[in-house]
Parts: sequence; structure tokens; C-alpha cells
Amino acid sequence: MDLQFLYSLIVGVFVGGVAGYLGSLMITKRMALVGDALGHAALPGIALALIYGFNPSWGAIPALFFGILVIWFFEIHTKLPMEALTGIVFTASVAIAFLFLPENEVSNALIGDISKINLFDTVISVILSLIVFLILKKIFSNMILASISEDLARVEHINTKKQNFIYLVCIAIVVALGIKVTGSLLMGALVITPAAAARNMASNLFQYSFGSLIIGAISCVLGILFFKVFSLSAGPFVILSASLIFLISLFFKKR
Amino acid sequence: MEKDIILKVENLNVDFGEERVIEDLSFDLKEKELLVILGPNGAGKSTLLKTLLGLIPYQGQIQWKDSVHIGYVPNEFVIPENLPLNLKEFFQFKKDYPEKIFQALELVGIKASEKNLEKKLYTFSSGQLRRTLIAWAMSDEPDIIFLDEPMLFIDIHGRETIYDSLVKVWEEKNQSIILVSHEIGEVCKKADKILALNKRKLFYGPPEEVITPQNLAKIYGSSISL
Repeated sequence: MDLQFLYSLIVGVFVGGVAGYLGSLMITKRMALVGDALGHAALPGIALALIYGFNPSWGAIPALFFGILVIWFFEIHTKLPMEALTGIVFTASVAIAFLFLPENEVSNALIGDISKINLFDTVISVILSLIVFLILKKIFSNMILASISEDLARVEHINTKKQNFIYLVCIAIVVALGIKVTGSLLMGALVITPAAAARNMASNLFQYSFGSLIIGAISCVLGILFFKVFSLSAGPFVILSASLIFLISLFFKKR
Repeated sequence: MEKDIILKVENLNVDFGEERVIEDLSFDLKEKELLVILGPNGAGKSTLLKTLLGLIPYQGQIQWKDSVHIGYVPNEFVIPENLPLNLKEFFQFKKDYPEKIFQALELVGIKASEKNLEKKLYTFSSGQLRRTLIAWAMSDEPDIIFLDEPMLFIDIHGRETIYDSLVKVWEEKNQSIILVSHEIGEVCKKADKILALNKRKLFYGPPEEVITPQNLAKIYGSSISL
């Protein structure tokens, strides 16, 4: 097995896993499409990274944080709904990115390219995925309680504002990491689809959250294996694998 | 603050923007007391509970006895659709699971069997959910329980079960209760004090003094038969 392929698989397992786990929270909080929107908001950073030849994820992180700050700032000053502001920011980001994104890099930006990953990228991706997973695991039950009743969570001494901020930062990091695997166009699906499949089959919260993690990881491994066999981009294969698992999950749907 | 007083409220004012929703309210609550807050819709009852819980900014004074542990049953809550959260996992959110949980569930009329514990919360009826939340609030034996219209969406039989269990908890344990309710039923008669509210304090005292046809007409704006 060549080293490049091994790196891809390792990154796929960790990033796919943490994206699935995060997705189980995002669906519960009715934020399924936020991952998609943020994937697009990262495009200017991805474009710069592709022009200057470094990992698109490292370009995506500052672009995402800037996008989140702009949404947060406008939400406070305009009182417009967050989904409207997210829509404005992500479409503006796409427009800006396409002003200077080289034509031959458009495909990489939109559907990712995991084939060029190196040891440094792999190590950083694994470490960040583990850190985000541990943070999400720590706040998971508090986030679920807050989604049932924010007041109840606050009475239980949960700092919901701080928790929501940490959660948003985790989303930004996972989206940035996932962009390398699926690209900005398909990133939302890496978060939503594994969690939706797990939700169909889970009998309890534990099965749901860890099922999402496992399906996310399996989807990435399958996608990367297909990419190796067919020599096409991994991103679409990853998402199609997740979609196939979702379709299968419908036959095991539990009430 | 006097020794047996758990909560003292003085000159409390709460504003939502330019509108004053609670005006110059003062009252206190002693240990083991049951206080029922009555009033029409929009009277500020839920706002008062949230203010006492520290969820809403206010002017005036709210003094709690040192290290008081509070249980809360909110008026509004949502179990996200199809969320596979079961009863057992919901109670595991409390740190001292499972010591007091089974007792609390039985008290509100939910059998703590393995089968019930594995049921997903979104399959529960509104009444079952509310009873679950009451058990959840009671389970770690708080010094005081706040209940915001706990009988909402609960059938008559369910109401009796919950009223009975609330009175049982209140009589058996050293817990104070603040209950917001629309109903002028058995619980009001058992209460130590009734606070009738319509943005400001209308009446405050023992039930036999507050629950009179003349007072109820003033509270609710029309004559109500007892």
C-alpha cells in the first residue's frame, strides 16, 4: 500500500468520524444545512490556499472564523435571523472566491482532493479531529438538554452561551478538515448523511451518536477505496457511500 | 434574613424593553412552604419564576438562603422529533443516577421498569413528558422545586396523580414548592400562601383569605364559581 493512500485513509477515518459525530448534534439542533453553508463560506480561503499551494483546510479555517464573526456581528446589529445572514455570507463568499480562483482549481475547491495529503497534514488532521471529538463528547449531553429546554439547562448550571460558542468553533474546525476530503460543495453531506442514517437505526442516544461516528468513518473509507479503484475524485464517492448507507438504514428504521 | 426563610423578594421590577411586566413585587418563602402563584394569561407568572431562577435581568432584590439547590419544571420544552433519547439516558444527565430516580418516577406514576426506561421520550404523550420532567426535577432532592403550570396537557386522572404526588413530596420531604397554576383546585387549598399576580401583587396570603369569589373576579376579570 502506498504511503499517500494510507494517509488518505487515516484522515478519512478520523475526519469522517468526527464529522458524523458532530452531525448527530447538528441534526438535533436543526442546523443540518449550516455545515453546507459554512463549506461555501470557506471558499475564499480555499482559493487562496490553492493559489499558493498549501492545504485548503488551513486556508479554510481563517475564512470560516471570519465568516462566523461576520454572521455573529450582523446578528447582533441587525436582529435578522441567523439562517438569512448565513445565506448572505456564504453566497458573498462564493462570489468573492470565484473572482480569483484559477479555473483549473475549481474542481479541487468544490469536491476536494485527498490524494495530495502529506504526513504533516495527516498528523494535524488526526490531532484536531481527536480534540474536537473529546470536546463534543464532553458537551454532548448538555447540548441535548439545552435543545430540550435552554432554561432547564441554565438552571442546571450549564453556561449555554459559552457552550454554543465552543460548538460553533467545533463546526468551523470540522468543516475546514472535511473540505480536504469532500470539498466545499459536498461538505454539508459529510455532516448530515451519516447522522441521518444512524438516527434511522438507533434505539438510544449512544447508538445514535456513535453510530453517526462509525458511519461517517466507513463512508470515507469506502469513498477513498472507490477513488483508488476508479481514479476519480474521492469526495463524490464518500458522499455517495454515505447516501447508500442512508438508503439501507431506511430498511432498519426504528420507532 | 430570618432563619427559616429560603427566599426573600423585595421591590422586584422586570422590564421587557419599555414594558414593565412585573411591578414592585415583594414576598417571601419559608422552608417547607408551598406557594401557589395564580393569575391570568400574561400576568407575569412564568416571568417571575424565570426571574427568581436568575434567567431574566431585574431590578430590586432577590435573596436566597445560602447554597440552595433548585429543581425546575419549565412551561415550555421540546423533545426534538425522532431524537432517540430514552428515559434512562435522560435521567443519566443528572449526576446522581440512578439512586433517587426510580423513587421519583414511581412518585409521579411512571413505573421504573427496564421496558419503560428504554422508551424514547418522543414517543411519550405530553402528560407523560411533563410527569417525567417533574420526576427529573425532584430526583436529586432539591431544597425548592419551581413548577411552571405542570398540569398543562395532562388529563384529569393524571392531574390527580401529580397533585397527589406533589403534596406527598411536599409533606414527606423538606422541600419548598413554588407552583404556577391556572387552577383553583385542591393544591390551592393545601398551599401555605397564594400569590395572585397581574404584573403587580393583587393578593398575597393564606388560601382561605385569597381564594374568595370577589378576589377571583378581580384576579381573572370575571366571576368564577368555586
